[in-house]
Amino acid sequence: MGAGLRIARETYAITGVDRAEVLRYLGYRGQALTPELDARIDATVQRCLSVAKPRASLASFAVRSATDDTVELEGSVLRLTGHDIATHLADATEVVLFAVTLGVDVDRELRRLSLVDPLEQVVFDSAATALVERAADAADARARAYAASQGSFASWRFSPGYGDLPLSAQPDFLASLDATRQLGITLTPSNLMVPTKSVTAIVGIHPVPQPGLESSCSVCSLAEFCTIRQTGRTCRG
Amino acid sequence: MASYPPVATVTPMGHQAARSLRVADEHLARVLAGEDFLLFDGAMGTQLQARGLAAGEVPELLCLTNPQEITEIHAAYVAAGSEVVTTNTFGANRTKLGEAATVEQIFTAAVGCARTSGARYVAADIGPTGALLQPMGTLSFDEAYDLFAEQVRAADAAGADLFIIETMADLAEAKAALLAAKENSDLPAFVTMTFDEDGRTFLGTTPEVTAVTLSALGADVVGINCSLGPADVAPLIARMLPWASCPVMVQANAGLPHVEDGCTLYSIEPDEYCEAVEAMLDAGVTIIGGCCGTSPAFISGERKLLENRSVARRVLRDDFCVTSAQQLISIPAGHVGVIGERINPTGKKRLKEALRTGNHDYVMSEAINQTSAGAQILDVNAGLPEIDEKATLVRLVSELQGVTTLPLQIDSSDPLAVEAAVRLYPGKPIINSTNGKQEVLDAVLPIAKHYGCAIVGLTLDEEGIPTTAEGRLAVARRIVAACDEMGIPRKDVIIDCLAMAASTDQRAPRAILDAMSLVKRELPGVRCVLGVSNISFGLPFRPLVNATFLAATFAAGLDLAIVNPMNERLMDVVNSWRVLSGEDESAQAYVASYADRSDAPAGVNFDTSTDAGIAAALDSMAGTLREIAAHVAHETPAGSEGDTPRKTPAAAASAETPEGQVRDLVLAGRKDPVPDAVRVILADADTGHDAMYVINEVLIPALDEVGARFENGQFFLPQLMASAEAAKAGFSALKESASASDVPSKGKIALATVKGDIHDIGKNIVRMLLENYGYDVIDLGRDVDPQAFTDVVVEGHIELAGLSALMTTTVPAMAETIELLHDQAPWCKVVVGGAVLNPEYAKMVGADYYAKDANESARIAGEVLG
Repeated sequence: MGAGLRIARETYAITGVDRAEVLRYLGYRGQALTPELDARIDATVQRCLSVAKPRASLASFAVRSATDDTVELEGSVLRLTGHDIATHLADATEVVLFAVTLGVDVDRELRRLSLVDPLEQVVFDSAATALVERAADAADARARAYAASQGSFASWRFSPGYGDLPLSAQPDFLASLDATRQLGITLTPSNLMVPTKSVTAIVGIHPVPQPGLESSCSVCSLAEFCTIRQTGRTCRG
Repeated sequence: MASYPPVATVTPMGHQAARSLRVADEHLARVLAGEDFLLFDGAMGTQLQARGLAAGEVPELLCLTNPQEITEIHAAYVAAGSEVVTTNTFGANRTKLGEAATVEQIFTAAVGCARTSGARYVAADIGPTGALLQPMGTLSFDEAYDLFAEQVRAADAAGADLFIIETMADLAEAKAALLAAKENSDLPAFVTMTFDEDGRTFLGTTPEVTAVTLSALGADVVGINCSLGPADVAPLIARMLPWASCPVMVQANAGLPHVEDGCTLYSIEPDEYCEAVEAMLDAGVTIIGGCCGTSPAFISGERKLLENRSVARRVLRDDFCVTSAQQLISIPAGHVGVIGERINPTGKKRLKEALRTGNHDYVMSEAINQTSAGAQILDVNAGLPEIDEKATLVRLVSELQGVTTLPLQIDSSDPLAVEAAVRLYPGKPIINSTNGKQEVLDAVLPIAKHYGCAIVGLTLDEEGIPTTAEGRLAVARRIVAACDEMGIPRKDVIIDCLAMAASTDQRAPRAILDAMSLVKRELPGVRCVLGVSNISFGLPFRPLVNATFLAATFAAGLDLAIVNPMNERLMDVVNSWRVLSGEDESAQAYVASYADRSDAPAGVNFDTSTDAGIAAALDSMAGTLREIAAHVAHETPAGSEGDTPRKTPAAAASAETPEGQVRDLVLAGRKDPVPDAVRVILADADTGHDAMYVINEVLIPALDEVGARFENGQFFLPQLMASAEAAKAGFSALKESASASDVPSKGKIALATVKGDIHDIGKNIVRMLLENYGYDVIDLGRDVDPQAFTDVVVEGHIELAGLSALMTTTVPAMAETIELLHDQAPWCKVVVGGAVLNPEYAKMVGADYYAKDANESARIAGEVLG
């Protein structure tokens, strides 16, 4: 096997989110906005960007065994159960686990806004959702780059709670990344993550190309802050 | 109920004067006195991983299954020179261990491994619970305390020599662990927290706040572990050293991990590591060791550092200081501080109403306004005879931390309420107050000592308030003597010489000033605080008298002024005094704020303390407002730029009237002009319209129109909410008006996000809209226990309950809550909503109504409650 991927913690300097995406989360369907509301939305999105600290932890693990409903990993106690994840990872030789979070300051600001300004809380929440998805995109790109470095191919990311992969995978998932220590991600008894704007996901590393991958940097939404391109390479190798 | 024994009821004065510790030997005693060094061990986890521990495996179980291996790791550190080895119990709490083992089994085995290694001292390791405490997370302080207390008792029984509470990111959690150690054992407790590159923990606590709060709370050692490499930890330790009144320790990582040939390696070698540690020893650190990535090689290097070294001298700051979890407020001798007085219901109608109804929006706005007006500490008082003061105070203290980072002054005459609030408060607060009465000293000082709080002492006793300066000094002496005996540091004792009305006794102001000077001279180290506004009682134009007296008190040595920081005149005195006293160096802050100020009148001021004054103000305002109204009428309202429906003829016509103005402002979602526009309607003596008229004929119809536009897609969510905000501004203006008492509630509604779910944003939107329709909304928050919710509904005989859930996994909790409601509160209708629900699911869980959005919930409320 290769060198393995282990990034204890990395930070993403994301300077923007897609405004249309934020508005879409808010149920926007082309209504005319007053300049006041327009400006308030922009200012709230900007504050979200300044409050959030997008960060990730990643680690790769070889697939030890796989059946049609359980995937076990080498060197981790995490067992991935369910037909959906097993199908998704069929033929995968390795997986990359990652966790990303915007940090607890986002939750603190959401709480402050819930007490003083519900409208801005709603807008801030949508902006944070858009932002954490971008941070997950960035971690995803790391995983793809790792796959390329191994001469392999990544599949799209799959999170606990999708399909029949239960949320009860979360404790072992986060423990495998040391995510509480590295990122400050904790779990509630119902296995929800706090900070709430956090994502955990699994990317399969496969010997053959997987459908639905980005084909060039020009169409990639991460191009502006991509940390891989700065090194003169791309996530495709 | 909390499971701790309240200090307030069980501890007679003096019994807690100094916590007597069980210290293993003379060397450890010298270490705790800051006179000698102590060497801990390095990483356990890194060593276990090197031996094949799988990621995510519970390492604590190895104490039972493979004690030999754990002992070998300890023994290697002892051989390298560690005096202390740390038990392999970092995550050994009840929730993390689950069914695998009991806490007692792990600690017994772990302490056994550590002893077998031949270590001089065994430190029982206690790491974070792994869950986040309320309010950001769902774990309660008491639940966290119970988890830690179980570990503490197990470790003590197993024969550990001390506790090392480490890798804490949340000050509240560190406090729960430290209290658990102090209240369940007499072994020394060391506490270290972990910091980020930005110098804060994940939850925003700084090294200064950590040092002040935990050393005041009775930690025997404070410090930093994990975090970063030692060179990056050094500047954080430097920030901690002046503020910790106990020894300081450091256990840094060996840099960051990376993978080489499939092995996890760390970036810093022992030599480089020790070089950075040596600099910290020179700065005053006395206890060292290692964290992630360190090995026996690092410890032998550190052992060499300690040979023939003597302890470096530390200079401690002597400022008056208090903290919140995120902010240190320090006031050096000679500087002055401002305590905001506004959160106190005495004589404040709106605050009383807010506390009575439990709708704390107004309290939050007072906190925010005082914060931005320059307050440094906020007084919090919930003393109303008709409410549960303890519960209200605890809730307020929690909520206030959501809107301000200023430290709080817990203000109550009920020791049980004080204790409940300061126990949970993640920081070092002020307790307001004790006084010279023996009974009060006995009740309050043990609380201040136990929880490491600063304390206000009022100069009154069984005989009342002495009229002379000497009489007040005598009471102050008794208070300070009692604090000395209790072991409360002088700098945490704040004497209030009590301002009395000049109008009843003109010698009073002089007596107060003299008393303060005497206290500062005769009782060195103590601080003085004063609420100045009593001085002007009975006089006209009180702010002027208050300001003049405030300046005099500063000259007499006042350290902390309890004032209304929104009063510009008083803040002018504070800001200018800071120039005169030299606190504001080179008058920089003063020049920045006042360079363009002059005494020219800025506008006409009205005295709004009388009805006549209000009438005059309204009269004048009406003229201006008609101009504004005319302007608004010609402005295009929301969405009339051509691509949305034109204004209805009715709306266009109504814009000519004041009612039309309000309606248009609500539809446009423009909140700022609404209160004035509402007052115009009320001020029109010819029509005699009252608050009810404005609600029923203007605001509610406008909201209904907003709802209709949302329904047909003309408005989207933020527009609905902006309109609701504008209507709310109108309701607030009505509540302040003379006819406020005529505004009846439209009924009570209880809301909650169900147990297990923390996604509450939808519920918050519903709450906002319902409030703006005039309902009293009791919002129980998120992750709400089914029975607790039902109890509130039963107690208040509430007729409509709203429940939200976003996760499929929490729908069963919703069903359970509804079942309890139907069983115990059969009169109550239940409406449910949330992303995972639809009308069928709603029926399946037993709900009476399903609301697809906030607007729908308002319609349902109208149907149920009218």
